[in-house]
Amino acid sequence: MDDILRALAGAVLQAVGLLAVAPLLRGGIKKMKARMQTRKGPPLLQGYYDLAKLLRKETVRSEVASWVYALGPRLYFAAAVAATTLVPVLIAAAPLEGAGGILGLVGILALGRFALAAAALDTGSPFGGMGSSREMTIAALAEPALMLGLFTSALAAGSLDLGAVVRSELVPGVLFRPSDILALSGLFLVLIAETGRIPVDNPATHLELTMIHEAMVLEYSGPDLALVEWASALKELLYITLLIDLFVPLGIATTVAAAPLALSAAAWAAKVVVFGVVITLVETTNAKLRLFRVPELVAVSLGLGFIGLAIRFL
Amino acid sequence: MTPNVVILCAAGMLVSAFLMVGQKSLFTTIRLYGAQSLLLATVAVIMAISDHRPHLFVMATMTTVLKGFVIPLFLMRVVDRIGIHREIEPFLNVPTSLLACLGLTVVGYRVSTGFPEGTVGVTHHVLGVGLSTLMIGLFLMVTRKKAISQVLALLTVENAIFLVALGITSGMPLVVELGIFFDVILAVVVLGVLVRRIVDRFESMDVSRLSKLKG
Repeated sequence: MDDILRALAGAVLQAVGLLAVAPLLRGGIKKMKARMQTRKGPPLLQGYYDLAKLLRKETVRSEVASWVYALGPRLYFAAAVAATTLVPVLIAAAPLEGAGGILGLVGILALGRFALAAAALDTGSPFGGMGSSREMTIAALAEPALMLGLFTSALAAGSLDLGAVVRSELVPGVLFRPSDILALSGLFLVLIAETGRIPVDNPATHLELTMIHEAMVLEYSGPDLALVEWASALKELLYITLLIDLFVPLGIATTVAAAPLALSAAAWAAKVVVFGVVITLVETTNAKLRLFRVPELVAVSLGLGFIGLAIRFL
Repeated sequence: MTPNVVILCAAGMLVSAFLMVGQKSLFTTIRLYGAQSLLLATVAVIMAISDHRPHLFVMATMTTVLKGFVIPLFLMRVVDRIGIHREIEPFLNVPTSLLACLGLTVVGYRVSTGFPEGTVGVTHHVLGVGLSTLMIGLFLMVTRKKAISQVLALLTVENAIFLVALGITSGMPLVVELGIFFDVILAVVVLGVLVRRIVDRFESMDVSRLSKLKG
């Protein structure tokens, strides 16, 4: 009983903590991107201001919208929050480790995406339909790539549990393998595709011919929109944390005590910043790909994941 | 620590070769080749330190300067001067090429276990990655239409051979490597001139047009 309570407390703390930090990551990337283009950019905390503003507004929904439309953002948000409980962040064990491993994580994220895509179709507006069709096209390719990359790490650990994978990589003297690099490159491309960054999608545009994620959520406003935005930011942070866990877990705490936890938090924050900088560099140095070229990019990540998995056996 | 960095850089070379297959911009391909050469130089430096083979430092320096910067800049200038269409047009489309390269990587890795040194530890991975990169380079050479991208494929193959040599013998004698270097430089210069001649004659870099009669 005590164990269950402790696990639940850990899960709640971790979810709340990540929710609190997530808008900061988006703001940081936006700011860095603006600085690289010699603009001043919005303030770092703009994400929080936006969320506060949206949450205070009244809900406006289309007259033809059904319950699917209202359920979409809620389920999307809930799925993102639920996914955080399966990923180790500061301690080398996920809060709800018994609840599910890699497959559970991928499934929960897919559920959220499905809910949002279905909701976008609900009102029957052309934009929503176009957006969800595009999102699903990319997701259908990115999801297997994500699975292959995750399996490459899971194979070394001999477990589908993310906590077990992290712990197996902390064992001293573990030799680095080429398959790790291949899987990391593949998963990084998945991260770009899934979080809607350039060169796959442009998060800063509302141009109808190019937008993917934004087209899906175009009709939402007020608290509904706030939920979607917040969940997207959380998902981005979650993917980065996942990459950190699988490939650079160095510094993560193995015991629950103040000193290792503080060190682990600092290491985690530093690694997130590094990933943020890399994403910014990718976004500023690349042009957005034509939509029909995006599957080719995702195919590359699928290929990298496959090779990573294949050469594990050779 | 040392074997980890070697494996990291070697695997990075394989990733860069794979990215060359997966995208179509000529300039990005040239930059990827430069990055690949820098990774190779890093491998050479680490091997020089850990195996105490000082002549590898010479090779690393030359690799960095020539293959990392001079050759990519030269190729970019050739492309700029000719003013050609900057997209690669392969004979095979990208997904098919990627699938073929997946198979080639598996073959390369499998073949590497046939070497007596190639079954365990760092050598296994370096050899496997080197042979896979070699195969991908050969594949690029036969499936690309533009003369410049064929030159790049040749250079990738040369990088891969260098990596395999590092993996098996921890470096060939200095004289041999210097010879290879001058060969590569000469090849790039000659091919650069040749490419311009092809463009002058045929108003295109497409080598598949070379077999047509002119009259």
